[in-house]
Amino acid sequence: MFDIVGVYKRLLTEDEDITMPVAAIEALILAIADTPSSTVSETLDLVGKLTAELKRAIPNSISLSAGTDLFQQYLISNLQRPSSGNVDFEQMRAHLVGNGKVFVERAKAARETIAGLGRHFVRDGNVILTNGGSRVVGSMLREAAESSNGNHRGSTRFKVIWVLSSNSVSAAEDESAANIAALRERDIPVATIPSTAVAYCMDQVTQCFVGAEGVVENGGIVSRMGTYQIGMLAKAANKPFYVVSESHKFVRLYPINQQDLGIEQNVVDFRTAKGSVKDEDDARVGSDEGVADVEAQEKAPLSTALDDAVDYTPPHLISGIITESGVLLPSAVSEELIKIWF
Amino acid sequence: MADASIPTPTQEESKVSPAELKKRAKAEKQARRAAQKEQQGVVVNGDNLAAQATEAAPSTPSQLPKVDRPPKAQQQQQKQPKPSSSSQPQAMPVRQRPSQSGAPKPILKKDAPKEDHKQVELFSHLYTQSRHHTFDGVSKDVHPAVLALGFQISSYEICGSSARCVAMLLAFKEAIQAYTTPTGTSLARHLTQHYLSPQIDFLKTCRPISESMGNAIRWLKKLIVEIDPNTPEQEAKDDLCELIDAFIRERIIVTDQAIAASASRQIRDGSVVLTFAKSSIVEKTILQAHANGVSFRVVVVDSRPLFEAKSLATSLMHAGLEVEYLPFSAISHAVKQATLVLLGAHSMLGNGRLMSRIGTAGIAMQAAKADIPVIVCCESVKFSGKVALDSIVLNEVAPAEELLLRQVAKQSDIPEEDGSKGKPSDDAKSEATKVKTMADWKDITNLQVLNLMYDVTPAEYIRMVICEYGSLPPSSVPVVHRLANEGM
Repeated sequence: MFDIVGVYKRLLTEDEDITMPVAAIEALILAIADTPSSTVSETLDLVGKLTAELKRAIPNSISLSAGTDLFQQYLISNLQRPSSGNVDFEQMRAHLVGNGKVFVERAKAARETIAGLGRHFVRDGNVILTNGGSRVVGSMLREAAESSNGNHRGSTRFKVIWVLSSNSVSAAEDESAANIAALRERDIPVATIPSTAVAYCMDQVTQCFVGAEGVVENGGIVSRMGTYQIGMLAKAANKPFYVVSESHKFVRLYPINQQDLGIEQNVVDFRTAKGSVKDEDDARVGSDEGVADVEAQEKAPLSTALDDAVDYTPPHLISGIITESGVLLPSAVSEELIKIWF
Repeated sequence: MADASIPTPTQEESKVSPAELKKRAKAEKQARRAAQKEQQGVVVNGDNLAAQATEAAPSTPSQLPKVDRPPKAQQQQQKQPKPSSSSQPQAMPVRQRPSQSGAPKPILKKDAPKEDHKQVELFSHLYTQSRHHTFDGVSKDVHPAVLALGFQISSYEICGSSARCVAMLLAFKEAIQAYTTPTGTSLARHLTQHYLSPQIDFLKTCRPISESMGNAIRWLKKLIVEIDPNTPEQEAKDDLCELIDAFIRERIIVTDQAIAASASRQIRDGSVVLTFAKSSIVEKTILQAHANGVSFRVVVVDSRPLFEAKSLATSLMHAGLEVEYLPFSAISHAVKQATLVLLGAHSMLGNGRLMSRIGTAGIAMQAAKADIPVIVCCESVKFSGKVALDSIVLNEVAPAEELLLRQVAKQSDIPEEDGSKGKPSDDAKSEATKVKTMADWKDITNLQVLNLMYDVTPAEYIRMVICEYGSLPPSSVPVVHRLANEGM
């Protein structure tokens, strides 16, 4: 059997620029190329199985599921078309495998397009607040810094406040360090603050830009823990709050609240002197049924650590979503998804 | 519109003299003529004639609130043409107010003489919707199945947007089977215009049709027009019936199952689900979640005058659910304990607003204030392209008596109850000081009773709409409406 999880992880580490959904799509294409299948339904079945396996193995599968769902839908609409009866299946498969790289290239090109669109939002004298290590936000700000000038010294003068995640400073330094360094290199002053200082800084800020792991159906985003509170504070201060994201991150998920993301996150962990309350509950259930104990042990490694945790920012906090196909209102996301799925 | 006025009988008709009757028949004839002319495009003239016609009939100072001259003079003017035959051009003076005598006005007068001052002015456009309860004046073309359905609808025996839509389609199926194309025309051309239209018009006089019925009718008409004229009649009719069955199955039955399956996933262990009035789809959703083995509690909020949630609470109780039944006045308490609000819909409007049983907006507002997710379950057949900003423009006024009668029956055996239904009694004036009950509301000056059916919930209060296409934000309703109901 094809090691989809291994390939997915390898792709992510090999190429720093690749995003999770794109890595998932590429891994699936490699799997199709690797596994001999002769019929449409066999291929779909294989993709379905591998997707399920991948989602099971990765603790936070929201972002990658955007890619796998998109790919599955692409396969269904392309392979099961009535006209595909006269087209040779092998031909289709070869075409798909051959074009695997195109997917990846396009996804990377999307980031450039977004940077080109988004830099117009950055004007002279702006103070921009951002967080996390989003590559697309980084490239957009770089583009803005370089704009209108060939020697990487741009004419737009703006300042950046970068919110570092407070729980693990070293890890956050790592992921946003490259972006911060690149901006400082281009004469853009960057201040770093802990997430506790966001409200304190908000009155100096002109607008906020954040990246996203996934843009959900109602136009909200799933993003790095802390994004939601930045959104709330920006809304309270009436500052524009923009999301910068490629449209392949649109995911068919509709959370109604923070607990509804479909992933296990051990963020709120009640404890007494005896230990975590949740463990106690599990233990009690375990003593009742016996099997639950084993399940709990299996579950434990799946729950994400706090520095990988995500939260959900509802659409009413978002002023606009900057994608490669234009700047969308949150309500347009659902329309885009309906277009893809129906 | 004027057609509707003609068959509507007035209660006093039996008591008037034959001469009076003749006069009235003449007036009606003229009204009919006027309506025809109106349809031909002679609007101003038509209006006048219609106004003239109603003038001849025993009229009441219905337009008084709007008139800018003293009411007495107005009344005199109205009485003047009365003794003479209405066909004479004597009624010319009416012309003075052409802007005010809009086409629907005369109908309004005829529908409810003596009650006009009991109509709330702001909602006067809604009182034109009549409610048929008798066979009088029903077109002979109306099929018995449709006739029966009409009365079931007007008496709330069949209530609810989807139920009415399904029942209507089933009745149309029977009606279509009973139809024979007259010689010299084709089914595709004749059926809709001359056979289906009277049925629809009759249903409209029983109760205003719902958005789902409107969408279904539009679909059916399109279907009929597209029938190949060369198809043998029986075959065409069978095809139509089959397609109607398919429509019911695809757009309502299977859709309901899909919505229930999807919405029931929102109910988790320990949830407290709040719902208002009765929606069949919400009932299905809750039962589905219960069948899935989720342990949760249901809070059912109900309100007068229909008390629809009683049957919902009963059916959930029988299914073994823990149910709490509360009156509408307890919503703030009900919302406090809830974790999820599930609502049904009469219609989803083009701006993402929800039109549903009156009271829904209050529940949704309370829930939104408490940051509790409000989820609307709604089949796409109920989606509408209409836009409403308030509950005034699009609504339905139910008879005001429905708001009172039950209470009267419960209170005690008030002998005046019979009188309360009819005209004000003669001694009403002399006993003006006597304490009156609500049953005498028609005799009490300055008292109006308004019984609205629906209200409009702003889109901001709705977190999610679940339809057969999946979960949507309310802002995507028009997109799905175009996709599902307009085939774009």
